[in-house]
Amino acid sequence: MPESPVLRLDSRPESLREWLGGMWRHRAVLMALASKDFRVRYKRASLGAFWAVAVPVLQAAVLGFVFSRVGKFGTGSRYSYAVYVLAGMAVWAYVSVAVTSATTSIVDASSLTDKVWFPRAVLAVVPAVSNLVTLAISVVVVVVAMPLFAEPFTVRLFLLVPGVVLAVTFTGALGLLLGGLYVYFRDLKFMVQAVVLVWLYVTPIAYPPSALGSAGPWLDFNPLTGIVGMFQRAAVDAPVPSTRAVVVSVVATLLLTVLAVTVHRRHDRLFVDML
Amino acid sequence: MSGAAIELQGVSKRYWKISERSLLRSLVPFGPPNRTQLWALRDVDLRVEPGETVGLIGRNGAGKTTLLRLLAGVTQPTAGTVVTRGRLAPLLSVGVGFHQEMTGRENVYVNGMLLGLTRSEIDARFDDIVEFAELAEFIDTPVKFYSSGMFMRLGFSVAVNSDPDTLLVDEVLAVGDVKFQRRCLDRIRSLSRSGATIFFVSHSMHAVHLTCPRTILVHAGSIEHDGATEAAIGRYHELMAAADDEHQQGPVRVLQRGLLVDGAPVKSIDQASILTYRVRVRFEQAVDGPGIDFRVFTEDGVLAYSMGTTAGERWRRYAPGDEAEVCVIFHSRLGGGGTFRIALDVTDRHRKVLASDPFGPSFYVAPRVGVAGPADLDATIAVDDEIRTNHTWIRLDGSQPTNLARGRDSA
Repeated sequence: MPESPVLRLDSRPESLREWLGGMWRHRAVLMALASKDFRVRYKRASLGAFWAVAVPVLQAAVLGFVFSRVGKFGTGSRYSYAVYVLAGMAVWAYVSVAVTSATTSIVDASSLTDKVWFPRAVLAVVPAVSNLVTLAISVVVVVVAMPLFAEPFTVRLFLLVPGVVLAVTFTGALGLLLGGLYVYFRDLKFMVQAVVLVWLYVTPIAYPPSALGSAGPWLDFNPLTGIVGMFQRAAVDAPVPSTRAVVVSVVATLLLTVLAVTVHRRHDRLFVDML
Repeated sequence: MSGAAIELQGVSKRYWKISERSLLRSLVPFGPPNRTQLWALRDVDLRVEPGETVGLIGRNGAGKTTLLRLLAGVTQPTAGTVVTRGRLAPLLSVGVGFHQEMTGRENVYVNGMLLGLTRSEIDARFDDIVEFAELAEFIDTPVKFYSSGMFMRLGFSVAVNSDPDTLLVDEVLAVGDVKFQRRCLDRIRSLSRSGATIFFVSHSMHAVHLTCPRTILVHAGSIEHDGATEAAIGRYHELMAAADDEHQQGPVRVLQRGLLVDGAPVKSIDQASILTYRVRVRFEQAVDGPGIDFRVFTEDGVLAYSMGTTAGERWRRYAPGDEAEVCVIFHSRLGGGGTFRIALDVTDRHRKVLASDPFGPSFYVAPRVGVAGPADLDATIAVDDEIRTNHTWIRLDGSQPTNLARGRDSA
């Protein structure tokens, strides 16, 4: 048997090193919970993970149709409007679903967390990991759709790599922060639902930023604009994202990460008192 | 391994009781505080050596759960330090952490990992886990089709097979059939023999008495007693009785109760005692010939014994304000032993209840060897010419019984 672990607890919060060490030791738990999360979600549905893709594609179709009629975006552009919407929707579906389920993740697992300890952050990160599967499938759908809409594969496709990294980190950090805060503030669940509803429309997914005219640059301050833009740019030759949007996304992601880690480092073993 | 398995020094834990906590409310800087503090534990020192089996008892809300949570490391103390050495496995009550849609097999893996096992360690133990839980044919069935007993067997099995250095047993044995309970206790004992530290939390004084040589009694956030189990149980019953003595109204009031052996109060007795239950009552209205109903219940609320005066007996007439002393004298022959509670009713001569005192004192009777159940029927078993009474084997012709010769059952 390996050296027996010694756990020493007092009133001080964990150090960053201890917290990171705890997360690292529980990476197998994270993967096990994520795979459980994914399998359980579609277990009873006969079409399984198909729904994970079908819903955002349908959403993209509806949004694309409405916006193209109202705003006449699709007509006369150099790139396929359909692929543009599809690419944006692929990330959006990932971010919105993962963040929403991460928000309630720690509270929902309260029957588990008051008996056995593992970093609570694991629970809040699980959605960002388990939804990677659907993100991957959605990206494949976009790539398959590209030739159908006469979009060539170019070197821009490599933008998907930083795009995915940024999307996952942003989602993980935001989910971690909200999951921790929700333990204390139960209003948050409804606030997140409301914000997600609005967020879809203030993110240039179904329309190009230029459609807003002079108000367009303000969209850059939405951290999702940069992330969504990278996916769109990977698929079609649209003039997105702006450098400023990408900077905002990166800075917001870093900030959220620091904030989320701080909340969890200080409160990891106190969450249970509130459940 | 060096040092104590569990060591608490000056540990306090404060909870905030929150009346209303909303985002809006907590942003308002002024106004009445919306939370009150509650000390679940106050300055607790505790040391448990590796391999000890320690009972933890106390009334609801005394601080048992908080203490367990600190030991399990799921919460941190407000003050003081908690040190635990070695791998610790909480016995999860009724398959906590199991996901309904997943099969038993999948749940074993997730649960095992939560207890700190690696995938390959679970692979190695998988057959043992399934065998102990007796779920071989259902292991690939989603656990939502499991009965609560199957659920708990699987949860228990994962925990005991994780080779814990310390096992926290929290009242889980309340579920499951008697056979499984016995196997659980056997397994806990064998873990204990192989050097594991056992922390046994229960409301069943009987189970604690049978399992733990040392018992900690928590009361109002402090350790009230830490030492011999008998004394802890006795003190526990005193606290329980004291807490029950509050509100009573009606035509007859109970002023004082005492459970005595040879004139001295007792809480814990053996099988050969003669007890006296003495109750002092005051009549608030005139009662013409009161009657008494005396009952003894087991810990589970099963009637073990009942005896009362007969309707129509006229003893004496009591005026309002008169006091009377009721004395019930009885034997402690309660076979398998355990915790018993006395209830007493005062009736009028038509046996209409005037005052009910259902929560009289509890007392613990040490079990008689080889006997179980509340009644002692003093049975004798004969196999051919060898006869077994409660304690010994004898032979009709007076020669040495064979099983005594083999050294068995010489008690």
